[in-house]
Amino acid sequence: MRSKLPVLRPRRRYIAFEVDSEETVFARDLIGEIHSAQVSLFGDKGAAQNRLKLITFDGRLGLLRCSHAHIQETRAALASIYSICGIRAACHVKGVSGTIKSATEKYIPKLCKISLESDGRRIELEEVSGCIIHIHGHEIDLCPDDRNWTKGSDARYLGLTSFDLSGGHDDADGTADGL
Amino acid sequence: MSFYECLKALPEGSDSASRLALAAKHLGYQGIVVCNAEPEKTFWPRAVSNVKGIDVAFGVQVNAANPRLLKSRISFLRGRFPFILVHASSDEVIRAACEDPSVDVLVPADEARYPLGIASAKAAKQNQVAVGFNLSPLIRFRGSSRSRWLDIQRRNIELARKFDLSMIITTNARSHLDLRSPRDLMAMAEVAGFEPSEARAALKLPERLLALNKRNWLGPGVELL
Repeated sequence: MRSKLPVLRPRRRYIAFEVDSEETVFARDLIGEIHSAQVSLFGDKGAAQNRLKLITFDGRLGLLRCSHAHIQETRAALASIYSICGIRAACHVKGVSGTIKSATEKYIPKLCKISLESDGRRIELEEVSGCIIHIHGHEIDLCPDDRNWTKGSDARYLGLTSFDLSGGHDDADGTADGL
Repeated sequence: MSFYECLKALPEGSDSASRLALAAKHLGYQGIVVCNAEPEKTFWPRAVSNVKGIDVAFGVQVNAANPRLLKSRISFLRGRFPFILVHASSDEVIRAACEDPSVDVLVPADEARYPLGIASAKAAKQNQVAVGFNLSPLIRFRGSSRSRWLDIQRRNIELARKFDLSMIITTNARSHLDLRSPRDLMAMAEVAGFEPSEARAALKLPERLLALNKRNWLGPGVELL
């Protein structure tokens, strides 16, 4: 027996999002932080009108269910996340869809595993020096020797690109063995 | 749709200008304005030319303790940079910035205890100074400090509407983790009290200011052709 008339069924939307963080984030910590951000921003009443549910999360990409009338609120709650369990992180909405299937097909590509382990390579420049933590395309996260470099932003790593290290040459990047 | 964001790069932030440009491009921005307080110390500004598909402009942020210092700093920087953002922490500096037509954007400090005054708003309208809304406290603060900040922003928005001031939304990002996509920023701006159309226009304003400042202005409303 159906519990509700079809016209009374809540209309849902599925938000595909990406978590950009300095270290690996777990799903239970993430949903705790999302609920905390939502309650903090909209109160218990706002959270009751827009019950969020984390459908899936693989460490970087995830799917969140919300009410169709509160998409902007959910975006704002996700955007107001500053850190997850003390790890600096940011949640970016990739897209919104009406079904889990279409949201997955459109916005969640196959997972590519990113390692956050230091590979031991170092960058020694006049201005900055430190260990390379993570390389993704042109992007490089660097653990600086001097912690004062990241003082203002609460971040642990410096964000650089291979362009910063090349010194204007495409074939030299400032590291010992090239990137 | 050309959305722009004002941010800070190494050494005042933790990311280089090129990394911020890559992150902003990934999030859907068409341009960024790097507003460091000491732009000559920016880490490898030439590297941004390698990041294709996004405009990167180098502006300057002015932090002055009193109106005299503010005026001298602005007259020194106006000819050198296409975008001047004043970060004002006291009422005197806010008033002086509003009365200076060389200022592009005035951003009251996060810890400001009072909203803008009517006299400042009138002066800002007369001198075409835009009011910047830094949304980073909405991300960083929680609880009573955030509700106090939201109250001040609501009153500032009401004043800006009444005097028809131009508005800018920024997160003043210091790292790629502080950046938010334009649509997320618009959603946050709606929480702070903006109308959706106002938020959209506010994200587009830096591009318009940069284009205006490329032209040769002799004074407010007087252009040398």
